[in-house]
Amino acid sequence: MLQRYGLQLRSVLGCSTRSFSASSGGLPVQASLPQAQPFGNVPKLRPANIVILKYPIAPQPVYINVSSLLPEHSSTGNVAILPPSVFRHPIRRDILHLCVNHYLDNQRQGTAATKSRGEVQGSGRKIRQQKGSGRARLGDGQSPMLRGGGHTFAKKARDFSTKLPRKVLQMGMRVLLSAKVRENALGVVEILDWPTAKTAELARRITSLGWQRTLLVTGADTVQETLMRASRALDGTETITAAQLTIHQGLKWERLILDYAAVDFFERTLGKQEIDVAAGLSGHVV
Amino acid sequence: MPPRVTITTIRPAPNSQVNQKRLGRGQGSGYGGTSGRGHKGQKARSGNGKPKAGFEGGQTSIIKRIPKRGFVNQDRRVWAPVNLDRIQSWINQGRLSSSPTKPITARELLLSKCVHNAHDGVKILGDGASQLTSPIHIIASRASKSAIEAIENKGGSVLCQYYNDLALRDCLKGNTERLKAAPTRKTDILFYTKWQNRGYLSPEALEKTPSTLMDSRWKILSEQLNRYREQTYMMKIRSKK
Repeated sequence: MLQRYGLQLRSVLGCSTRSFSASSGGLPVQASLPQAQPFGNVPKLRPANIVILKYPIAPQPVYINVSSLLPEHSSTGNVAILPPSVFRHPIRRDILHLCVNHYLDNQRQGTAATKSRGEVQGSGRKIRQQKGSGRARLGDGQSPMLRGGGHTFAKKARDFSTKLPRKVLQMGMRVLLSAKVRENALGVVEILDWPTAKTAELARRITSLGWQRTLLVTGADTVQETLMRASRALDGTETITAAQLTIHQGLKWERLILDYAAVDFFERTLGKQEIDVAAGLSGHVV
Repeated sequence: MPPRVTITTIRPAPNSQVNQKRLGRGQGSGYGGTSGRGHKGQKARSGNGKPKAGFEGGQTSIIKRIPKRGFVNQDRRVWAPVNLDRIQSWINQGRLSSSPTKPITARELLLSKCVHNAHDGVKILGDGASQLTSPIHIIASRASKSAIEAIENKGGSVLCQYYNDLALRDCLKGNTERLKAAPTRKTDILFYTKWQNRGYLSPEALEKTPSTLMDSRWKILSEQLNRYREQTYMMKIRSKK
């Protein structure tokens, strides 16, 4: 689960517009926090129902300095510890491709339609006699050969939606979040709220933070009223709930900011149960 | 440093997508001109291009060579079998239970998935009778002799009741508003009025069945349908002149 360390760190605000100071947040952070221990010799005999992690060393959690939307709390020295199964997932661009295509397929309205020769208005009368005119033989006037006739293979309104296994979509979300972490484009705040509904104040704050082109993701059931109203008119800022976040949206936006509740939401819905292998190997079989 | 992961830098997995074969689009594609159909003949034509299924070019088809046989019995009935070992296993798992006032019926067997489909009724069969240990009380469409014997040896009870389509549907859905129809076919009447089959209209069954399980009509039905036992026929004797 999410842990907060009360370290006194230099404020990380006002840094480069591209990245947040994430896990590369300076030596004091890395040195003080506990490191994951690599396993020693794994014994040959093991209980059959213990899952062995794929890598010889357990993946490290992700450390991100916690920022804040509100000016008063901007100098928080907290560090968020994010689960590696969600935020340090191997990058799979092909999975993202599948997820994005599935999303765009489902977005299609599918209402394009044209008339075939049977639907074009007109009678079935033979246009000219079969023989004697010296010209090509013709039936009714709606044939696709003729001007004003129907389309040969007319388009019909149809459903373009596709199905994708839900576990592929879940992996896609994990890959998205991990990709953002890798590019230093993911930030964490304690809570996404704003006191007044004034767009100008919020815009000023966002500029000072360097959070242009950022998607704010809150883990609450709805976005806070005043924050929503303040950010509605802003082009480079959008606030959504974690449940509403789609992979397509996450890829289009340059940066993501999650609040604690959103991180908990993703950990709950996407995370993997960490198994204490050492305890299992000591002989206690569940 | 790999490029940033954005909407423009994601690609499908290599070899996961194959180009569609598009017929009639020029020589370079390899499927231009006749579009892979060769020249003329039935198979080159638009529309289906095939004769109807089973046609053998005019030779007498195998369907026509073989003679017709028999008939299909419209009144055929298929019983859903369930053996005693299966019922005992279900009882051990806690998926079925019975008592003299709440016996196991086709509904309980279907809901607990002891039978997958009730068909025209459930028949209790006696395979695995040695595994039966608890006394079970069961009402089914039919029961085999060995099943009846095994169940009654353990202190249980079996009753065979007639279900027509509507009555079976009501039983499976748990509807109790309708009265269940009486048997009309001679074979059914003969079956359900005999105690050796544990038929519900036999005189012994009327004594032994608890009154809560009995329909109001059973006594009258039983009395009327058992009349065949005493019936005689008047035969005109032609005197020889």
